[in-house]
Amino acid sequence: MADQNKTDTEGTFFSEILSPSELFAARSRSHKIPVRGQKDFFPNDSDEQRQRLEQSLNEHWSLISEERVERLGNLVRATWIPSDQTVELQSPAGKFWQTMGFSADGKQYLLPEEALYLMECGNLQVFYKDLPLSIQDGYERFLSSNTVRLQQYQVFGHLKRLGYVVHRFDPSSEPSPYVRQLNLPQSRDRAGRQLKRKRSASPTPTCSHSEAQEESTTERMEEDKGNHDGEENKKPPESHLTTSPETAQVQTATTSTTDEGGGRTWWTTDVLRDLGKGSDHSPTSGSSRWDFSSISFPDLGSRGQLSSRLASPDPSLLPGALAVGVCDVASWRQRINLREVRLSSKEQRREEDKRRRRWDVNKDKEVQRCRNWAEYQELLARRQGRRKGRPAHLWNREVTPLHDPRQLIPTGELLDKISVIKSTNLLEGASRLKGSDEWKICFNVYQPDSVADFKKSNPGKPYSRMCVCSFNDPVPDLRAIKLLASQSGDVPVVIAVVDHGDISFYTFKDFQLPKDVYP
Amino acid sequence: MATEGVEKTSEDVPAAGKVSTRFDLEKETELRFEVEAGEAAEQVELELLTGMAEVFGSELNRNKKYTFGAGSKIAVFTWQGCSVNLYGKPEVAYVSKDTPMLLYLNTHAALEQMRKQAERDNERGPRVMVVGPTDVGKSTVCRLLLSYAVRVGRRPTLVELDVGQSGVSVPGTVSALCIERPADVEEGFSVQAPLVYHFGSTTPGTNIKLYNKLTSCLAEVFSQRCEVNRKASVGGCIINTCGWVKGSGYQALVHCASAFQVDVVLVLDHERLYNELKRDLPHFVRVVLLPKSGGVVERSKECRRDARDEKIREYFYGFRGVSFYPFSFEVRFSDVRIYKIGAPSIPDSCLPLGMSQDDTQLKLVPVTPGRDLTYHVLSVSSAEDGEEGARKGIVESPVCGFIVVTYVDTQTQVMKVLSPAPRPLPRHTLLIMDIRFMDMK
Repeated sequence: MADQNKTDTEGTFFSEILSPSELFAARSRSHKIPVRGQKDFFPNDSDEQRQRLEQSLNEHWSLISEERVERLGNLVRATWIPSDQTVELQSPAGKFWQTMGFSADGKQYLLPEEALYLMECGNLQVFYKDLPLSIQDGYERFLSSNTVRLQQYQVFGHLKRLGYVVHRFDPSSEPSPYVRQLNLPQSRDRAGRQLKRKRSASPTPTCSHSEAQEESTTERMEEDKGNHDGEENKKPPESHLTTSPETAQVQTATTSTTDEGGGRTWWTTDVLRDLGKGSDHSPTSGSSRWDFSSISFPDLGSRGQLSSRLASPDPSLLPGALAVGVCDVASWRQRINLREVRLSSKEQRREEDKRRRRWDVNKDKEVQRCRNWAEYQELLARRQGRRKGRPAHLWNREVTPLHDPRQLIPTGELLDKISVIKSTNLLEGASRLKGSDEWKICFNVYQPDSVADFKKSNPGKPYSRMCVCSFNDPVPDLRAIKLLASQSGDVPVVIAVVDHGDISFYTFKDFQLPKDVYP
Repeated sequence: MATEGVEKTSEDVPAAGKVSTRFDLEKETELRFEVEAGEAAEQVELELLTGMAEVFGSELNRNKKYTFGAGSKIAVFTWQGCSVNLYGKPEVAYVSKDTPMLLYLNTHAALEQMRKQAERDNERGPRVMVVGPTDVGKSTVCRLLLSYAVRVGRRPTLVELDVGQSGVSVPGTVSALCIERPADVEEGFSVQAPLVYHFGSTTPGTNIKLYNKLTSCLAEVFSQRCEVNRKASVGGCIINTCGWVKGSGYQALVHCASAFQVDVVLVLDHERLYNELKRDLPHFVRVVLLPKSGGVVERSKECRRDARDEKIREYFYGFRGVSFYPFSFEVRFSDVRIYKIGAPSIPDSCLPLGMSQDDTQLKLVPVTPGRDLTYHVLSVSSAEDGEEGARKGIVESPVCGFIVVTYVDTQTQVMKVLSPAPRPLPRHTLLIMDIRFMDMK
């Protein structure tokens, strides 16, 4: 039977029966699809190129214009119902019913893209006003912005031909991140979802919400709108979320200020009282250098330098204007050396070890040059930096290394710190984004090997989800990708890019940087 | 020196039933006496009859009786010569000519010279660290030098880093005290508004990291004070340290020297320590070796424990347990948060990879109140009673006071505490000490 471009006005042209010879001719016809060959990128005005193009075009035209011959018994009859944008089956469905179509009110229906695909396959004949629709009619009537667009159908058909099971994506069937987090069993009934949404305590009236759901039962494509309502429902708690960190910040700020105030209550009164007095002199951290040759301590340890007798100190330095005589140090010296340190043998060994390793800090020329603690501590800091492999020239510029090697931190933290490119998580923060119309998931795709035991009522987890866009469309931005990912949950989203007849598939994936010790 | 008033004898003593002994001291000699330790010990009274004398740098008033309780070990020194009377029966009492007081006085003279120079050049005064093993008289030398400094009109600061035998606050703390008058002969320095940090144990070895941290805290606060208070800056500070001079203890001393930027280190009677410090401290730090006094007595463990107990009792009841009247009230567990600083150390093999043991030493570990809390001394941290965010500052916050848990009732979730002030507690963050105190007397 032919259903293509017959201009016969007879009412029964669609039930035309071919003669045996014609049937043979149709069967023996070559089923080869013309090869597309290499693509030429620009016209070079050569005859050769023109000829090749013409030949290729002719091949395509002849393929399309070819009469399709099918067995009448294989064809399922159906009627196109424009008001519902569905196709109602008139005769029992074929094998395709396992993966396609749906039942309502005891009748079997097909979605327009399914019907169109089946028409193309030669499994279905659709009537409208008792007249059969040609495939071209099917393209024109079934594909619209209300059902599926041409590009979406192209992707649908492509995947179907490859054997995948493809269903329309129903956003409301996907559990929200909240449900996912709770690890609730995935329920398909709506009551549970409504319950869940109520919890968000949104001021949005629930009636509009239920309206959206009613729509969704009748016209599934409207579901997206309903979903947007749902998205908006989530907004109030989101705004609540954004305000709470601020208040928390304020709180911490106040506590920190009180911390500063409370830390030094001990001497603050004193400090305040003395502030006026102290402000006019310079800070005392400067170099205070004592001339210990004129300031004589009775140091029993320094031999030779000290005379055995200490001169009597200036009475003005002593309390109560005491006047004391000279002091004989020699006798004390005898006594002090008597003390022997009691060390265990282990300690002794350790001490010996230490003595060998360590040297007198004052033998160092640089240390000798230091005049006070400030200089000495600076020197030590500098030295330590050098010893621990911290070259000063790397650190005194605006751009410094990512990590100071003197700071010891766990390996995981270190890897985290030095990784300029961060691991991504598409789902992170996505639940707080507001939905947009620009990008939508169109299809759930199930793998071909699952067809045998596929159930439409319980399709299980899709293999992937398909989002369709044109080659001319912009590349989705991060926001769109995040939104799609959050809608899809743990099922990967594949973006099908349609370039006229060519379909290519792209996907954005999370990646984890290796963290060797830590998983 | 020749003594006058020889005619004064025991007959003149009022009928207190006490034996009176008279000692005539020549110049630059000292009378050492010890009062028996223990409950039943008789107090000994000291009276200066003629001349001038001092006890650890504080001058004695003539014809005033000073009472010394059980366990006291006193040295009465005279520069000019004097005569004193002892009433009661001391365990030991003898006159010694062999004292290093002249060396200590010379040390003071040198420090005073430095203070004069600091005053002249608008610099900071000397910062002195007194180090040495246990029982060499570190605290006494500190007291002596501080008293002398105050007597010549300085305002030095005592930094007490000896957590075992603190001269300022209860044991288990490090503290700083501004000295404005010489020590009382009987009571020691008057403790007014000291800066006290909680350490929690009687030996720095239990948490050396915390000890060094608190040392740095004290040094920082002291430096800030010096910047705004000229007098304190010129007066400098005298740092009393623990008697632990080996291993980590020695490292803690070097750290302290560096934190306080000390100018002078006085090493008491330990030549090896002296040589090590000379080697490990930069040349501009003057390390001085001084002898210990022959009068220094080695104290037993029990003696130290008693001294600690006495110090805590003094905190609550005042000197000799008569001047203060502490309060006892109940505190609900829910009203306070009790922490211990430093998690118990875990073997390295049990730690998560990359984590070091040091992290645990400064950690605050919440303590669940229970019966084992009884008799523990708790520090009331001055950290604001903030939320969890304020927990970070608790370790570095000074202490506003101490309480002792006397009874824990786990049923009603209430504990009874001994507190120097009436309820309520000024703050509700409590830090637990290893030290326990039983209010027995």
